[in-house]
Amino acid sequence: MQRRKPVRIEIVLMIFSVIIFGVFLVLILTYYGRVLKAAGYKEEELNHVYGYQYEMIVDNRNSTLWNEVYEKAKAEAAENDALLSLRVSDANTEYDKTDYVDMCIDSKADGIILEYNGEPGLTEKINEAAEQGIPVVTIMNDPSWSSRQSYVGVNEYQMGQAYGEQVARLINEDTKDILILSNREPELEKNQLYSRIYNAVSDRTGGEKNIHVREQNLISKSQFDVEEAVRNIFQSSDGPPEMIICLDEVTTVCAYQAMIDFNMVGEVSIIGYDASETILEAVEKGLIPVTFAMDAGQIAEYSIEALTEYREIGRSNAYYTVDLNVITSQDSMNDMTS
Amino acid sequence: MTGLRETEYNTEEKVKLPGTTQNRKSMKEKEQTSKKRFIRWQDLSLTTKVLEEVLMVTMIIFVVNLVMYLQVNRMVSSMSQVYVSNVSLGELSETLDEVQNSTYSYLQLKTSESLERYYRSAEDYQELLSELNQKVMENPVKLLEKNIRAMSETYLAETDASVTYKRGRNVEKYRESFEKAQQVYRYLNSSIYDLNNYQFHNNSENFTRLQATLRSVALFSLTLIVIMMSVGCLMLYFMVRGVVSPLTNLAITAKYVGEGDFNVKMPQNDSLDEVGVMTRAFNTMVSSLEDYVNLTRENLEKERILKEKELLMEAHLKEAQLKYLQSQINPHFLFNSLNAGAQLAMMEDAEKTSIFLEHMADFFRYNVKKGDEDATMEEEIESVENYIYILNVRFAGDIHYSKDIDETVSGVRMPSMILQPLVENAVNHGIRNIEWEGRIHLSVKKDEDKILIRVRDNGKGMTEEEILRVNAGFRAAHAAGNGNENGREGSTVSGLQDTGDSTGIGLSNVKSRLELYYGCQNLLEINSPGEDQGTEVMIRIPAASAYQESDEIQALPGEIQA
Repeated sequence: MQRRKPVRIEIVLMIFSVIIFGVFLVLILTYYGRVLKAAGYKEEELNHVYGYQYEMIVDNRNSTLWNEVYEKAKAEAAENDALLSLRVSDANTEYDKTDYVDMCIDSKADGIILEYNGEPGLTEKINEAAEQGIPVVTIMNDPSWSSRQSYVGVNEYQMGQAYGEQVARLINEDTKDILILSNREPELEKNQLYSRIYNAVSDRTGGEKNIHVREQNLISKSQFDVEEAVRNIFQSSDGPPEMIICLDEVTTVCAYQAMIDFNMVGEVSIIGYDASETILEAVEKGLIPVTFAMDAGQIAEYSIEALTEYREIGRSNAYYTVDLNVITSQDSMNDMTS
Repeated sequence: MTGLRETEYNTEEKVKLPGTTQNRKSMKEKEQTSKKRFIRWQDLSLTTKVLEEVLMVTMIIFVVNLVMYLQVNRMVSSMSQVYVSNVSLGELSETLDEVQNSTYSYLQLKTSESLERYYRSAEDYQELLSELNQKVMENPVKLLEKNIRAMSETYLAETDASVTYKRGRNVEKYRESFEKAQQVYRYLNSSIYDLNNYQFHNNSENFTRLQATLRSVALFSLTLIVIMMSVGCLMLYFMVRGVVSPLTNLAITAKYVGEGDFNVKMPQNDSLDEVGVMTRAFNTMVSSLEDYVNLTRENLEKERILKEKELLMEAHLKEAQLKYLQSQINPHFLFNSLNAGAQLAMMEDAEKTSIFLEHMADFFRYNVKKGDEDATMEEEIESVENYIYILNVRFAGDIHYSKDIDETVSGVRMPSMILQPLVENAVNHGIRNIEWEGRIHLSVKKDEDKILIRVRDNGKGMTEEEILRVNAGFRAAHAAGNGNENGREGSTVSGLQDTGDSTGIGLSNVKSRLELYYGCQNLLEINSPGEDQGTEVMIRIPAASAYQESDEIQALPGEIQA
């Protein structure tokens, strides 16, 4: 019988060393690769190239809403081969919305979603953008006189109607003063809203009781000033009004906080705006009887739809109506459609 | 089982022993064939083997080090690249400032130098811009790059326009363009600042990560190098051991051989390196050594046997001599006395007495003189005749002695004191006390290759049983040590008691000495037709051997005497 030749130990060692070397090399390369990847060198996802660039310019009065809208709109835009960037104008930035629109024009963006609030010069910039072939979709308010491509928002009449209803519902015997805290430029005064509230109050009292409805514009105030202004209202010599109607998230939260701080729960009714966590919590506890919230999903969807349509066929709808949700303390939610 | 023992080593195989011509021939053929085919590892010289092994291990460690070095180098270069983007941005920002300043300078002063500066910086700026991303990407850095690039194009368009309008002296327009350019310049600066911040933030993170990675990789590398060096050393150890182990085995085997064990052989090895050559040479040497040692051993054995024989013979002679001396106290004094007696007898005219005494003196002189050496046939016969003469004087001529001698053998040498004891035996145990006339006949004949010596008497004779007993007595005496027999055993041969006047040398002694002298058995034979019919003792001397032996013994008289 032929004896099997024994394997030489040095060959075994050589194979062993090659394997060890290989394993070490693979480990090091894998580790290094992982580090590079973590370092962002290989972030494939972030390096995805889009065909179009959209910009969304908002202020921070309704940050919860806009964040939600932005996230949804971004996803929507990505589906349509576009990248959506968010530019927020607030006290921390040296630029206002006009500057941002200007930047978007200069950087040759393919579309702008703009929260219009009547800022001076903004209309001209909208027109300039339109001249450069950049469609501007306005949200929240509608500068219909400008060259904006589309408006996505709530129908003003229906909005006034909804507010009127809620005001009428909340008026009681003690109600003497109703204060509307607006956040718009004077030129954008929403007559529909006011008139519907007046009407509702009148209808409710039947003209027997004199309820004073007044409006205070906080547009010129910075973020901190809003809070100061709201506190001043609560500290006025005549006392706070029985009903405060807020038209943005910041104002609502400030009024709510002041009401608690001055221990006026039950004495002051706040009609809120937006559905941020704090506000929803307050509604749930019955501290804020009702809050209004636009449908973020619809804003996002319609805005991107408008831009995409314009891109594809050169035109889009001038109006996209968004649902306004009414959230009451009973946790009931009614859709108020235009 | 051949009786050969092979030293077994770990991986070696049991093989046939080399050394035969056929084996060597086939090995040579094999070597030539393998040479023709390729050079095998085992055919390389030890120096080459060790050198190649060391080179191999060194190469492995070198490659590992090289790879590790490259890897660390790559990482270090990555680290140095980390902040390159910030540096580029700084350059971009500076160039932008230069464009802005040169534009402003031209619009303000309208010098050709500022215009030239403007064009140059604008060109530089364009070049730097070309390195920026221009695709819409989610990566904030890339997106900012894209925005900066797009804004820069707007900016350059505006500065170009302002410069052009300035040259065309369109004041309104160039102001308008410059204002717009200024605005975009602000945006650009802000964006570059943002981008720089982003990048710095990212780069710092990357730098920290890379730094940590570099430390880990360095540790990894160090561990790997330590492991590889250990494995390398181990490899080298086993490789060198592989080269050296045949030498160690050879040394062990050589030690066995040195201790006299020739049955160990190195396993067959057909490699052409030094070890192979040495192994084959060693095996051949061991074989030759074994043959030589066997030969020497045989020679020694022969020599030993010869020596033993000589010593034995010497012992017999000494014994015979001793016995003789025991019985013959101071023989020289006796010879001299006898000679003195002979002379006295002569002076007194007693001739017979004188002759008698002379014969006696001759007889004893011969005995004394030849006691330690051999003698010729003639001398032996003369001694017998002297002896007979003395006896006839003693016993008044009762013994009738006759002889028949082949004169050609008278010079043949033979052990001394062989014939006289036979005749003495015939007298003492044969014809003594017989009632008829006693005769003794001595005959010496040459018969082909033998010399036959017969001593025949017409005495009492011997029965078959007596002859057998005497022969058995020879064997017993031989077994007892050859040298211990004495005259009494000689009497036993004839079955008679020693009378006390014997010369003291028995038949057994005679027989032993003959056998030792000639180196063969059964030289003495006793024959008798029966009781009262006489006895014949016959000695057969091999003629050729007799001459040869006699020569050899003559050449070494001292040794035998010693």
